[in-house]
Amino acid sequence: MTSILLSAALQLLFVLMLAPLVSGVIKTLKARLQMRLGPGIFQPYRDLYKLLRKGMVIPETASWIFSAAPLVVFSTATLVGLMIPMISAEAPLSLFGGVLAVVYLLGLGRFFLALGGLDTGSSFGGLGSSREMTISALAEPAMMLAIFTVALSANSTNLSEVARSAIGQSWRFLAPSQMLAFAALFVVLIAETGRIPVDNPATHLELTMIHEAMILEYSGPYLALIEWGAWIKQLILMTLLINSFYPFGLSTDLSPAGVAVGLGSYLLKLVLLSSLIVLVETTNAKMRLFRVPELLAVAFILGALALISTFLF
Amino acid sequence: MYFYQDPEFGERMITLMAALVLVLQIAMVGQRYLVTNIRVFAAQSFLLAGIATTIAYFNKAPHIYFAAALTFVVKVVFLPWFMERLVAKVEIRQEIEPLINVPLSVLISGCLTIVGYVVAESFYHPEAGITAATLGHNTLAVAIALFLIGFFMMINRRKAVTQVLALLSLENGLFLAAISLTYGMPLIVELGVFFDLLVATMVLGILVYRIRETFDSMDVSKLRRLRG
Repeated sequence: MTSILLSAALQLLFVLMLAPLVSGVIKTLKARLQMRLGPGIFQPYRDLYKLLRKGMVIPETASWIFSAAPLVVFSTATLVGLMIPMISAEAPLSLFGGVLAVVYLLGLGRFFLALGGLDTGSSFGGLGSSREMTISALAEPAMMLAIFTVALSANSTNLSEVARSAIGQSWRFLAPSQMLAFAALFVVLIAETGRIPVDNPATHLELTMIHEAMILEYSGPYLALIEWGAWIKQLILMTLLINSFYPFGLSTDLSPAGVAVGLGSYLLKLVLLSSLIVLVETTNAKMRLFRVPELLAVAFILGALALISTFLF
Repeated sequence: MYFYQDPEFGERMITLMAALVLVLQIAMVGQRYLVTNIRVFAAQSFLLAGIATTIAYFNKAPHIYFAAALTFVVKVVFLPWFMERLVAKVEIRQEIEPLINVPLSVLISGCLTIVGYVVAESFYHPEAGITAATLGHNTLAVAIALFLIGFFMMINRRKAVTQVLALLSLENGLFLAAISLTYGMPLIVELGVFFDLLVATMVLGILVYRIRETFDSMDVSKLRRLRG
């Protein structure tokens, strides 16, 4: 019992502290690749500290939903952070729900974020919410198909179970179905975290913005909670991608040596995946909004092919 | 035994590369820009050369190395270079305008892939116990899918250059089927196919140039005006 509580507390701390760092690393890597100096990898922490100390401006037209949305976004993201295996294959809350709970808790957070964008009645918020919902409605089938592929080869939707079975089959990551599912989930990751071919995370002065348009009315601690929640969600999706497809080094017990190896390989894989994201962001231009469904259609087909090929190969 | 001598490893690599070839084919259907399309074709051919090399290595069939080298020289280096030069020369619009919109085309390609698998399933007889039959199973399905999607792309596109590209990717499917089922056709047949392909592309290239000169466009549907 105490070991579960201890691992839950440790993972909670880990999720909360690592998420801004990953975002900072991605920003810095991207800047370096574009021959800029960049803000340094600890900038997100400074931003959080600054935002948490500031006062808030709440629009007159806002209802209770406006205040509830940041809390829901942050708490669902944190809860999901405890349900996925990160360093050890045993996730602290894995008995509370499998991958379906993970996907739809994140969906609940997104739903409240969109409501929060609509709540103030400003035109930008409504525009952002409608775009976010369009994209997530298209990304969700692709994501579910890719996840079902992984769940099928593990015979379980429990993420700890999935990670354990992936460790057991050493050559499985080379199977075509896994590669196709990885590609589909990677496109979903790009779309869900608002990265470049879909949305531009670096600006809120564009008519094509999605995420930034939704949270335009937020300020101070509420904005901090939303940003933090978004970083945690990004970390969760990246972890999902890493640990269900490439679980090398993931420790199966809670011994210090296993955890140390798990931590090292996990951080290494995070950096590699971040570099891949940075590469995609730097070499692509932002798509027109009406082209985004094409990208997500490709992701959907990749996911469908992955699912079919698990039965055929 | 090292892992690179393990036949199972070879088989997995071939299946993986075949899957990537299929992904690139679908990416070609989904990609709008002509130059990117040509490069995707080059990448696909490169993977094909990789598959041929792997098969040659694990089945001790040295003559397939030659086919792999030929694929590399002709389809990875020469034809993409030639077509990019052609595109630059005729100064056409860089965007492909398919008849059916992109999401639907991609969905259709997905369905064609399933058709490929269903067809290949009937050739699969694991009880016969021949390793070649089980090896060919996945790659044959991918090859048939490439073939069908190639046909679909030819129907779906209006401009001559893009149709040539579709023809070439269709030929990639043929090559994959031949190499995975029979461990390569006789060398003289391979040489004939490559020469044929080379000449066809050159002739089509000249034809594209002429069409463009005469009609100020590469839209082949305009050729109907020739009717008297």
